[in-house]
Amino acid sequence: MDPSPVIRSGAIMVPVPIDELLAVAAHYERTGKMQEADRLLSHILAVAPNQPDTLHLSGVVAFRLGRQQEGLEKMEKAIAYGVDIALYLRNICEVYRTLNRLDDAVAAGRRALALAPSDPMCLHNLAVIHYERVEIEDSIAAADRALTMKPDMAGAHFARAEALLIKGDWEQGWEEYEWRFQIADAARMMPPTGKPQWDGKPFDGLLLLVADQGFGDIIQFSRYIPWVLERCPNAAIAGSREMIPVLRQFLPEDRIFVRWEDCPAFDAFIALSGLPRLHGTRVDRVPAPVPYLHADPERVAAWRERLRPLAPGSYKRIGIVWAGRPTHNNDRRRSATLADFAPLAALPGVALVSLQKGPPADQAGAYFGRAPLINIGAEVRDYNDTMALLESLDAVVTVDTSVGHLAAAMGKPTWILLATSPDWRWLLGRSDTPWYPTVRLFRQTRPRVWADVFQAVAAALAAPGEPDADSAMPKRQRSAASAG
Amino acid sequence: MSQPAFQMCPCGSGLRTVRCCGMTPGAMPPPESSRHLVPLVERAVIAHRQGAIETAERLCLDVLELAPDRPGALTVLYQIRKDQGNHTAAEALLRRVVALDPNSFVATNEFALLLLAKGAIQEAEVQARNAIRIAPQNPQAHNLMGMILTEAQRPRAGEYHYRQVIELSGARDPILLANLAWNLKNQGRMEEGRALYTESVAAAPNIRQTLLGWARLEEADRKFDAAAEILDRMEQQWPNDPGLLLSRAVLLGRMKRTDEALALLDRMAGQSADGGLGPNELAEKGRMLDQVGRYDDAFAAFAEGKRLARELSGHQYMDAAAENLISRLDNFFTAGRLATLPRATVRTDVAQPIFVLGFPRSGTTLIEQTLSAHPRIVAGDELPLIADLTGLMPRMLNSPLGYPEALAELWMGDQREGLDNLRDYYLQKVAQMGILAPGAAWFTDKMPLNETHLGLIALLFPQAPLIHAIRHPLDIMVSAMSNHFTHGMFCASALESAALHYTRVMDLVQKYRSEMTLRYLAIRYEDMVTEQESTVRSVLNFIGEPFDAKCLRFHENQRYARTASYAQVTERLYDRSRFRYRHYLKHLQPVIPILRPYIERLGYTVD
Repeated sequence: MDPSPVIRSGAIMVPVPIDELLAVAAHYERTGKMQEADRLLSHILAVAPNQPDTLHLSGVVAFRLGRQQEGLEKMEKAIAYGVDIALYLRNICEVYRTLNRLDDAVAAGRRALALAPSDPMCLHNLAVIHYERVEIEDSIAAADRALTMKPDMAGAHFARAEALLIKGDWEQGWEEYEWRFQIADAARMMPPTGKPQWDGKPFDGLLLLVADQGFGDIIQFSRYIPWVLERCPNAAIAGSREMIPVLRQFLPEDRIFVRWEDCPAFDAFIALSGLPRLHGTRVDRVPAPVPYLHADPERVAAWRERLRPLAPGSYKRIGIVWAGRPTHNNDRRRSATLADFAPLAALPGVALVSLQKGPPADQAGAYFGRAPLINIGAEVRDYNDTMALLESLDAVVTVDTSVGHLAAAMGKPTWILLATSPDWRWLLGRSDTPWYPTVRLFRQTRPRVWADVFQAVAAALAAPGEPDADSAMPKRQRSAASAG
Repeated sequence: MSQPAFQMCPCGSGLRTVRCCGMTPGAMPPPESSRHLVPLVERAVIAHRQGAIETAERLCLDVLELAPDRPGALTVLYQIRKDQGNHTAAEALLRRVVALDPNSFVATNEFALLLLAKGAIQEAEVQARNAIRIAPQNPQAHNLMGMILTEAQRPRAGEYHYRQVIELSGARDPILLANLAWNLKNQGRMEEGRALYTESVAAAPNIRQTLLGWARLEEADRKFDAAAEILDRMEQQWPNDPGLLLSRAVLLGRMKRTDEALALLDRMAGQSADGGLGPNELAEKGRMLDQVGRYDDAFAAFAEGKRLARELSGHQYMDAAAENLISRLDNFFTAGRLATLPRATVRTDVAQPIFVLGFPRSGTTLIEQTLSAHPRIVAGDELPLIADLTGLMPRMLNSPLGYPEALAELWMGDQREGLDNLRDYYLQKVAQMGILAPGAAWFTDKMPLNETHLGLIALLFPQAPLIHAIRHPLDIMVSAMSNHFTHGMFCASALESAALHYTRVMDLVQKYRSEMTLRYLAIRYEDMVTEQESTVRSVLNFIGEPFDAKCLRFHENQRYARTASYAQVTERLYDRSRFRYRHYLKHLQPVIPILRPYIERLGYTVD
């Protein structure tokens, strides 16, 4: 008698339909279990290498796991094998945008829209891509069309808000900007409350200000706190601990709360980022009482003493920041590298003082430029230190980060380097900003290409008398005048 | 445990391992139990004296098998192994003699000389100090110390001991005078050195080493005719002496008579008994072939020189030790830990150091010569003090741990000022070396590869300028091949290990710089050549001193640099040393992959 064959569990082939496996993989992807999804999809692809849905989902997963090239190839293959599926194009459009292939992105976005003319998501994508391509009217038009189909589509409202704001239509822009809290994946500003949002009118009850969004926004919009206090003397503010050095320049420390459970019972609330709307701020009417932030004189003295031996002699001390917080959704567009600062490092008589924090600060170790680089970021503990350090410098050159706002709010000569499609607050085409009189803006001319921007900064810095705290006027005008 | 009982000791002493280098401490029988062996030891001594080497050796081995701690037998066996040229065994045996009888002047003196000859200067110094403790009035003890300190590049302290010899012996021995003259030459005191050589040669006209030293002094002092005259005189007596011929070739090379110099080296190769030149001769020959554009021949000479140097000295890159030290430093110096460690305070009553850092042959000498032409800056040369401190630190901080972990003691309440003590040790040694001149606000310390200890330096001297000499890594490699140096744990004994050590240290520098706030400036050798004035201005501005045009004419600086770079820095800056690697690209292929990341990071290319 033959012995019974040994059956191993792994050897049993149970035919499971691909559709069911794919549904499981899609569930993993939706619930953020990328590794599981990746593994399952690779099994399916081993059996059905050209199955479009599998290729597409596998591409999405690979992309989200950081394997960008592989993800793109799979998604392109899915489009090649699948016939005119709008979802594929809509998704690849976002991938192209991330990879800075803006022409491909807009082409895919348009094809997706042609296949699914009634899908507002396709239009929303187009609105975002047009903004990034600095085609602001096209962006507004796409958002408008999305909103005719789905009037309460928060993402489209927000895309429209950014486009209106960057082109200077602040009256409409602020209204649309209110949709920012409705976006599906937006972080919740505060715990749910039955209390009303403040309407900007004089108010006797206790008003809770919420220092929302990034640190740069808080620094920028903190200027409105005195305006609020004129209308509403009984105010407290909720914000993160790091921002206390900024907020306490407007409110006593016992009115600043860093934990929701410690906040007093309030009668109304307002986000700092909602104040420009209530104030009725327009491009030609921006309250800019600069300097409105001040460093602590004792700390300034201590930091001057710390810097003195590190950069004696006759240096122009230029504070620099090359990268923002990596989790910022715009970070890959706004951040540069320390190596990009090479033209500044070649200038005689310049000392670079790194204010960089976070993982990109490690780049300081690989810097071998001619100008000394003082890697002081590691010794900076809080924004009190940052302010005192900024006070000890001659100027600041930074990508669009909170340090730029801080230096600008202190009235330091601050040169901010911007992407082609920057944050709305910097408007378009101008080298100054109504928000801060001592800021000078340097803009990319090609997406994500910094070389010419830094060349321009270096040339400006080498000009006699620069950086000049009293004037942020574009030097173009001056030289034109002197040439005549 | 792991040694089989019958295994012979790998040192080659002829003893079993368990009776030699593998002996368990404390397992030795008490000395009185072996007193019956004393007659055998006496017979061994007599046999050795009478030339009956085999008998003496047999007797010693027998005695030491029974009583491995008999100093007399160990000493005789040491003599035998030394005479046989078995250096490893000789050193092991002598080391044991000194350990057994630490108050023996003869053994200590012998051991110090052995260590000095081997190039283990730090260890030799420990023994020489013991010799002086044993016999403070013995002229030889001071002579030993004088030689070692001169070799250790602390000539000022060495001079003291040489002068002690003269005082204690009441005589002016010609060889001692020549030693002192060499010491003075190393201090740049050429006139005094010349006078002593003259006196020495008048008393003893035919000492080869004296004449060679004198000729080297004249050559270093750019008195080429005087040097040639001395060599001419030597030639009459020792026409084919290799040392003479090499000195002649070097002199001809410095006088730009390269073809004659090469002919001379070829002649040396032809006449040498084993058909070849020594490591130094080969390096010199390679450099001259390089000058006349015969690059393949030049590299072949360099490579042969390295091979021979490895063979003769037994030195090769201490790969594991280097990796161990560097990874420990990398682990220790983190921003978090540094935030909790104190810093030494800054002394304002004495001149302060400027650290000129860099891989050997990357332009550190050039930077030092340039800076020390400034009226407020004096040259300290390659100060061994930071390395000394890494060795002394555990003791000074009373720590059971080594460097750098011993810095953890700074967390203890009674060691908060520990760094001040270490700093003062350094500054006090500098003062003793006689480096500081009146009016000097700064002195340079250009010990290559001090960047390995950048973290420690910044703790000790938080405000000291750290000037890092940067040069195309492939140019450094060419230069490392064409010169012999021991820095960096003998990494330059081969091309690949030089490249490996270079990247290890650069990785570590990168780590220090991202974790610490340093007063650091990178200076490119190439910029010193092509944009001298702006580069010098920028370095002086970084130090905080006004520009002085004398720094641009540093070749007129009479100070003589002791290191291999001296011939170049006394000439005007020349472009030939820039991107010289291009002539050697095919020879450098093995290290290009190792160095490419830094070639790119530093902004250089390979073309």
